[in-house]
Amino acid sequence: MSSKSQPSSNPMASLWNSYNDQTSNRLKFIDSFLVYLMLSGIVQFAYCVLVTSFPYNAFLSGFSSTVGQFVLAASLRSQVNPANKDEFKEVSPERAFADFALGSIVLHFFVYNFLG
Amino acid sequence: MFSIRRFCLLALSLAHVWSVTAKSSTGDSVLVVVDPKRQAQYSQFLDGLKDRGYDITFRSSKAEKPLLIEDDVPNYAHVILLAPESKNLGGKDITPQNIVELLNLKTNVIVTLSPAQTSLSSLASEFSLILPPPASPLISYFPKRDESPTLIPISVPDKSSPVLTKHIAPVWFSGIPQALGNSPLIVPILKAPAESFAGELLTQGGSAESLVDAADKGGEGLWAGSSLGVVTGFQTASGGRITWLGGADMLTDELFQKSLPDGSKPGNADLARDITAWTFQEELVLRIDQVNHHIVNTTISKELYTINDNIVFSADISKWNPSENKWEACSGLKDLQLEFTMLDPFIRTALPPVPGSPGKYSVSFRAPDRHGVFKFVIDYKRRGWSFLHSSTTVAVVPPRHDGYPRFLSAAWPYYAGAISTSIAFFLFSALWLAGDARDSRKGQKGAKAQ
Repeated sequence: MSSKSQPSSNPMASLWNSYNDQTSNRLKFIDSFLVYLMLSGIVQFAYCVLVTSFPYNAFLSGFSSTVGQFVLAASLRSQVNPANKDEFKEVSPERAFADFALGSIVLHFFVYNFLG
Repeated sequence: MFSIRRFCLLALSLAHVWSVTAKSSTGDSVLVVVDPKRQAQYSQFLDGLKDRGYDITFRSSKAEKPLLIEDDVPNYAHVILLAPESKNLGGKDITPQNIVELLNLKTNVIVTLSPAQTSLSSLASEFSLILPPPASPLISYFPKRDESPTLIPISVPDKSSPVLTKHIAPVWFSGIPQALGNSPLIVPILKAPAESFAGELLTQGGSAESLVDAADKGGEGLWAGSSLGVVTGFQTASGGRITWLGGADMLTDELFQKSLPDGSKPGNADLARDITAWTFQEELVLRIDQVNHHIVNTTISKELYTINDNIVFSADISKWNPSENKWEACSGLKDLQLEFTMLDPFIRTALPPVPGSPGKYSVSFRAPDRHGVFKFVIDYKRRGWSFLHSSTTVAVVPPRHDGYPRFLSAAWPYYAGAISTSIAFFLFSALWLAGDARDSRKGQKGAKAQ
């Protein structure tokens, strides 16, 4: 693979190319989910700072739902990443996804309770 | 016709009976502890009490009965100790402890002192009154007169004490003064003249030098001047009233009638009347009939208020009217205050009288933005007046879960954020599982291909 990538003067471009080349589609799919959550969180935080934090409980639950979902998705990513296979011998990818789904459902339960 | 006249006469006599019945707000039984030999000396004073409707029982200063307190219940509404010289008043019963107990039981007491030291002298200091050393009566050589320097005409300034109601002529006084301590419960009634002092009489072995010595020591041990009291009242926190008279002589018939140096009649009778009227809870007696609190524009009293509620608090206050023998609505208090406290007063506001409804005081205020257990407190303590205290506990709670506004337009970005996160989670899960299935099929194909 390294033979494919051209030595580039731009480190960002080389990072991007290397990411594109070396990451499996599944992980890219999780990454796009993470990016979406991050953007959603940033938008809510900006709204809170720039416009209003009232009602504060709605802000907390909306913002923490993105943060919590981000944390759960990030842990799913590290558990299904083949590069971490040695660290998570006990955890199969299916098990990791089940944990992720259960955690998310509990998270959303709390978020909607706190939202109104 | 005849019967109507009789009825009218009956009604009149009934009204008369009503008008002379006791005017005290706490009862009409009086125990007078007096030396039987000297009882006749006080006849005008005691007859005056009887005429005002008091039911007087006499007890010899040497007798042990009737008891002041029996089975922890006071036998009399008021007690007058008119035997200042007795070393040992009636044996075991009349002790400083018992007098304090009487006051706690809301019995009112008039104590007369004398230059001789008695068991009651030590009690005076419990009431923040400091008595001069034994055998040092109040002395004044002014104005020039024929009487002994210990028999002093004291002028009574108008309105010098809330207890004294009207203009009173100078009174004859003979006895000891009291220095007044710092207690706010003291109600000074009559002060000593500025040129008077307490000391031993020169004719009885005393000397002016002791006074000079005291003055040289910066006033230490000096008993002189108008800061001394000769008649001093004291109202306990529980509402009992006690009045200390520097001497019993001022209540005698002799001094009730003795002409002043300028030939006019003395004010002793008027002063005695005012003193007994105050001490026996006829004058300056207030009470709170009821308190009421509710939310503005409603009438129902609540145990629970929500933060920032607008609350109306009202109190009905009555004053004892001794001439009508009944409680009357009193709208005259200008400086009444209401406190809304949780340890500290969060709100302290004036409680003004409501124009048009006598005796009613009302104020409306916003509850603080703080939840907890609060009290409405009225605490009105004015010198001479009976103390008003009322405390009503209510809870102030945050709004209930359905007491808040919901689905505010300002919060839509947060709602949208939370909903879109959920939708994204479901989409992600669905696609992930679909991808899983495809992968496993791919894997199977790959395996077959191998």
